[in-house]
Amino acid sequence: MPGHKVARLFVGLSAAVAVLGMAVAAEAQEKKIKIGVIYDLTGPLAGGGSELQYTGAKIMLDHFSKTGVEGYKIEAVYADAQSKPDVAINEAIRLVEQEKVDMLLGFFSSAQCVPVAARVEQLKKFMWITTCISSAVLADKNFRYIFRPQASGDQFGLMTMDFIAQNSKEKFGKEPKDLRVAIIHEDGAYGVDVSKGNEAGAKKAGFNVVLKEGYSATAPDLSALVTKLKRGRPDVVFHTGYNPDITLLLRQAREQGLKFGALVGHGAGYGVYEKLKEGLGADVNYVFNTDPISIWLANQKSMDPKLPPMIKMVGEEFDKAKPGVAIRSAHVGMAASNTYVFMTEVLPRAIKKYGGVDPEALRKASLEVDLPEGGTMLGFGVKFYGEGQQMAGQNERSFPVVIQYVDDKSYVVWPKSQAQREAVLPLPKGTTFSSQ
Amino acid sequence: MQGFLDIFDIYLLEAVVNGILLGGVLALLALGLNLIFGVIDVTWICYAELVMIGMYGMYYLVQFYGLPYWAAAPLTILLVALLGAALHYIVIAPLLTAPPINQLLATGGVLFILQSFATVAFGIDFRNLGIRLPVLALGEMHFSYSRLLSFAAALIGMVSVYFFMTRTYTGTAIRAISQDRQIMSLMGVDTKRIYLVTSALGGALAGLAACLLVLQYDVHPFVGLSFGPITFLICVLGGLGNFVGGFIAAFVFAEIISLGGLFSDLEWGYVLAFAFFIVMMFIRPAGLFARRS
Repeated sequence: MPGHKVARLFVGLSAAVAVLGMAVAAEAQEKKIKIGVIYDLTGPLAGGGSELQYTGAKIMLDHFSKTGVEGYKIEAVYADAQSKPDVAINEAIRLVEQEKVDMLLGFFSSAQCVPVAARVEQLKKFMWITTCISSAVLADKNFRYIFRPQASGDQFGLMTMDFIAQNSKEKFGKEPKDLRVAIIHEDGAYGVDVSKGNEAGAKKAGFNVVLKEGYSATAPDLSALVTKLKRGRPDVVFHTGYNPDITLLLRQAREQGLKFGALVGHGAGYGVYEKLKEGLGADVNYVFNTDPISIWLANQKSMDPKLPPMIKMVGEEFDKAKPGVAIRSAHVGMAASNTYVFMTEVLPRAIKKYGGVDPEALRKASLEVDLPEGGTMLGFGVKFYGEGQQMAGQNERSFPVVIQYVDDKSYVVWPKSQAQREAVLPLPKGTTFSSQ
Repeated sequence: MQGFLDIFDIYLLEAVVNGILLGGVLALLALGLNLIFGVIDVTWICYAELVMIGMYGMYYLVQFYGLPYWAAAPLTILLVALLGAALHYIVIAPLLTAPPINQLLATGGVLFILQSFATVAFGIDFRNLGIRLPVLALGEMHFSYSRLLSFAAALIGMVSVYFFMTRTYTGTAIRAISQDRQIMSLMGVDTKRIYLVTSALGGALAGLAACLLVLQYDVHPFVGLSFGPITFLICVLGGLGNFVGGFIAAFVFAEIISLGGLFSDLEWGYVLAFAFFIVMMFIRPAGLFARRS
């Protein structure tokens, strides 16, 4: 072989090796975590709050994708559960098996969460639930890879019952045993779970439960339920629903002349004030809602100092995405805060202490999160129940608050430690549903 | 005995009347679907989605363009009538001789197209017309004027369709075609035109339903899911294509839902109604009011 040919071959081979080496090096350098994000962007749940949750999570994911976390790039892959549990399961599996995501984040509906969590655990993948609240997702399951910083459904139900029980004598002039209460709920995992909390709370308080009933969120008519409520003459109606079933129920309640002293909602549709106002007009005044506190209402003085600027950022980004909204929905802050906890507490610890973003590292890092009250934008702390405990994976430090809508503003009215004003109870005379 | 008598209270009466009013809503929905099936022999699975488009039409005409309700309603009826005619011209006409399953799948496809179209065009938000009609109070009982309106419209619609079918040339031609599709073209009737007129009429009835439902329900791309299946069941229960059967079946169905829901859980009202449907399908497979062959 002539000398110049040997030389050319050598140069060519060297160049090929160098290019290959650079490619391998580049791949090794590009560390990233791929996060599959699932909310309902179409279907009835989208407008019922899921799309707002998606907005909150996206704001936070976009924020961290600019900076990365501990040298890892953040790549989010979004999927639409279409308000259907079967689609949620299929999308979760698609994201894990085809998109090769490292973990899943999101989930609005408990009806989706229950089966998806079981499937994801089976696949030994990590799942961070920002929203769905049903206790059935985690209770007695002893999952290893599923974590939920969010409060659970029975806490919602217990909280509202406690709120009314503590105000029964002072506001209604009745002993709790004489207070007539009705518990109505959509019949999915979410509604059933909250109603169980309601029932346990009613039993504890000694309330007279005049009606407890579930209904399908897609039922075209709720007039029979309203008639039964009229027959039961409740002082307080505890309601758990999505939308538009809330609007339908209250519209038919107005048309059929239902009267009561207070209406207490439990998140989901009750958390989307704009839609309530559009559907019910002035009737939404003095309605109560239970949710994790809106990050814009939380007491920032008792909060970790690095959180208020984040709250401001989320608010500004939300206003850009949805200009002209009267009350920034609690849904947005809920997803943003819970995503933030993952990005600042779980992910850095998994990378630094456990060497990566595999499910095992993320699990160990989650179990070590120990935020005191005031450690999140939602006011509560974070510490997860560990393996072997009845609610393994649930945040034991989370709690919801009761808010009241008054003249297009929302105020925290319970628990007393967080209250911004005295609750207006019972409904003032002259309002549509007032029984006075 | 006293316990038994206790159930005969004012609330029972209210539930009965509410059942009748719900029946009016369902009868109105069933009317157009029955007309289409009776004549063209094709089931528009997407019928409730036409109603949904009509509800959006009302919403935008009233809220966006500021038209009064009474002016927006005829425009909406016209819009959905045109949509019905277009549906026939584009989707149904080429499939008239195809097997029924193909027709069913085609209209099923239109259902998803309309839902997706509404999601993209109008967004996922629930929209409310913002018109609140007064309530009729009779002692302890209260009834919604919007439901009373639907009930009246269903009655008037039913009678109008009856007179149209029996007193006009086009109506007679429609009935004749529904009895024998092939022979009428041999007798010089333009069947294509009659099909188009019937589809437009079916669409107009969907538009009428939309004008009244928008007073009672929020509009969103999936509102049809609440009504579509139940409307279809009512048409089958009354005998597909049988106007009077569909009309009565709507009230039977609504009363079972209302009274079942009053005496037990609301969900049981629907369970009883669907169980009744299944039993009737065994006893009278062609519908409650089908003639025995």
